Amino acid sequence: MVTVGAVRTSGKRERADKQEEASPPAGNIASSADLRPGDRVVYPKQGVYRITGLEQKDIAGQRLEFVKMSREEDGASVLVPLGKVATIGLRRVATADDIEGVFHYLGASYDDPELDWKVRHRDNVERLIAGGVLGVAEVVKGLHSLSRLRPLPAKERELYDSSRHLLVNEISVSLGVPEVIAEDYVDFALMPPAGVKLPLRPPPIPVELKGPPWKRKKPAVVEDDDLGLAELGIDMAALEGAAEGAAGSEESEEGEAEGATPAAEDGAEEGEAVPAKPAVKAAEKVSVQKIPAARKAPPPPSPPPPSKKPAAKAAAAAAKKPAPKTAPKPAPKVASKVASKAAAKPPSKGPAPKKGTPAKKPAASRPAPPKKGAKPAKGKKK
Amino acid sequence: MIRIVTLAAYDEGDITHLSKTLYRSFGLGTEHAGVRALPKKAERDDGRFDAIRLLADGPPVRAYADDKVLYITDKELAIPKGPLGEPPTWGFAEQGGNKALISTFRFKPRGVTEASIEVFRRRLARESIHFIGHLWDLHHCYDARCAMHPSWSPTLPDDPEFELDAFCRDKSERRVRLAKT
Repeated sequence: MVTVGAVRTSGKRERADKQEEASPPAGNIASSADLRPGDRVVYPKQGVYRITGLEQKDIAGQRLEFVKMSREEDGASVLVPLGKVATIGLRRVATADDIEGVFHYLGASYDDPELDWKVRHRDNVERLIAGGVLGVAEVVKGLHSLSRLRPLPAKERELYDSSRHLLVNEISVSLGVPEVIAEDYVDFALMPPAGVKLPLRPPPIPVELKGPPWKRKKPAVVEDDDLGLAELGIDMAALEGAAEGAAGSEESEEGEAEGATPAAEDGAEEGEAVPAKPAVKAAEKVSVQKIPAARKAPPPPSPPPPSKKPAAKAAAAAAKKPAPKTAPKPAPKVASKVASKAAAKPPSKGPAPKKGTPAKKPAASRPAPPKKGAKPAKGKKK
Repeated sequence: MIRIVTLAAYDEGDITHLSKTLYRSFGLGTEHAGVRALPKKAERDDGRFDAIRLLADGPPVRAYADDKVLYITDKELAIPKGPLGEPPTWGFAEQGGNKALISTFRFKPRGVTEASIEVFRRRLARESIHFIGHLWDLHHCYDARCAMHPSWSPTLPDDPEFELDAFCRDKSERRVRLAKT
């Protein structure tokens, strides 16, 4: 047996209060007085439940009253405190008209899947909770469209499967058909057979989710000092201290920062399978906006391009010309490493001096006598 | 255990091939429980058979807990019309239940050549895996190479694969492990 919402932290209470401020979508159950035993309701992200009655329980010295519900799919029981009925997003099972609208929505063309995985994930979760049956259809449709472009990452594949399960379940209950047939209807709309033209009407407009403000924060400004270097394991304090020492090193810092940004982006893209909660928590706590902002807002055109070559050129120029501003570069470790690497490259590409590079060459590439070199190698392998 | 019940005459080689394939796919023992008569009550006025009724009135087969029964027929099946029309029906199953039904009506003719027989067997295996997958609570998959992809999809090749993709295979294995027996 599962008890929902029995204990909440103060932060969660604030969120719930804010959520109450947003107008609920149509079909939502506003208070526990609307519920009767035998009613069928949809619990967001859980499925279709049947109200079985009220139950009183003593919890932590308090006598609380709960609405008892049982999931139709597997008979799992849930107790919801009476006071929380309005805030958890319970809603009535969609009517046949709503479901018809869902099919017209599924059958309509959809060419604009959200490509930013963080925005997509946040929106999908919110739609599943507060978007009604059309919100669930939106998630299925969006992820299905995305799956045509590229395979879904593991987490989204699971989300796709679970949202499909919720949609099929509700359609099945609403239309009174078995689930397999409801799923056939869904896929008939999503991917009709060749040569079949569906009698589609204009799709209904999904509920615009105002959502709780803590979820709707959007990146506004890209902060210059937040470069995502901490993710790369670079000590920010050391960098800052060094940067203070170097008065005119702003330009080089910019170059370094922009050089580091692609790495952060890579991290973000690789992190597609990262679970949603940490991302949301991060969005709540500190400076959320860095990765989406870095991806969305293109870097300003005026500063020099963020590549290794300019750094190398600068280093080379510094070596040739005694320029007081650019030449002293004690602070940034990364930039100096990059510069040194880049500076090391040109001589290796050009006609390299024979004496300068003996140690770096691997033993295998040396022109060694064939028999002598082969025997020890065999011995080593063994 | 998966029990295959044929509601028409099928070649024994085809059923043997199917049994082996199902065993490989789900790791469950598979046997042919025999040939039974088609329930005539499920026939509709247009000559097609109501899939839901056929499965409900299907001939009884001795089965134990978690056994899955697969009926195979060569008749055309029909399902209730949906809001956008009636999808082409290749079979029917109880989602998360015990009985499934497939029809070979829409298959390419079995023919007598080795190639055509092979195509027929592969398709038979695919549709069987698909509807038994529904019995293990699998949903349709967007990957056209997976057996859980809808059978009428325009992206499905002529001679489709009859394997589950990684996600569906993992899910079915989990379900099989969680089964009572």
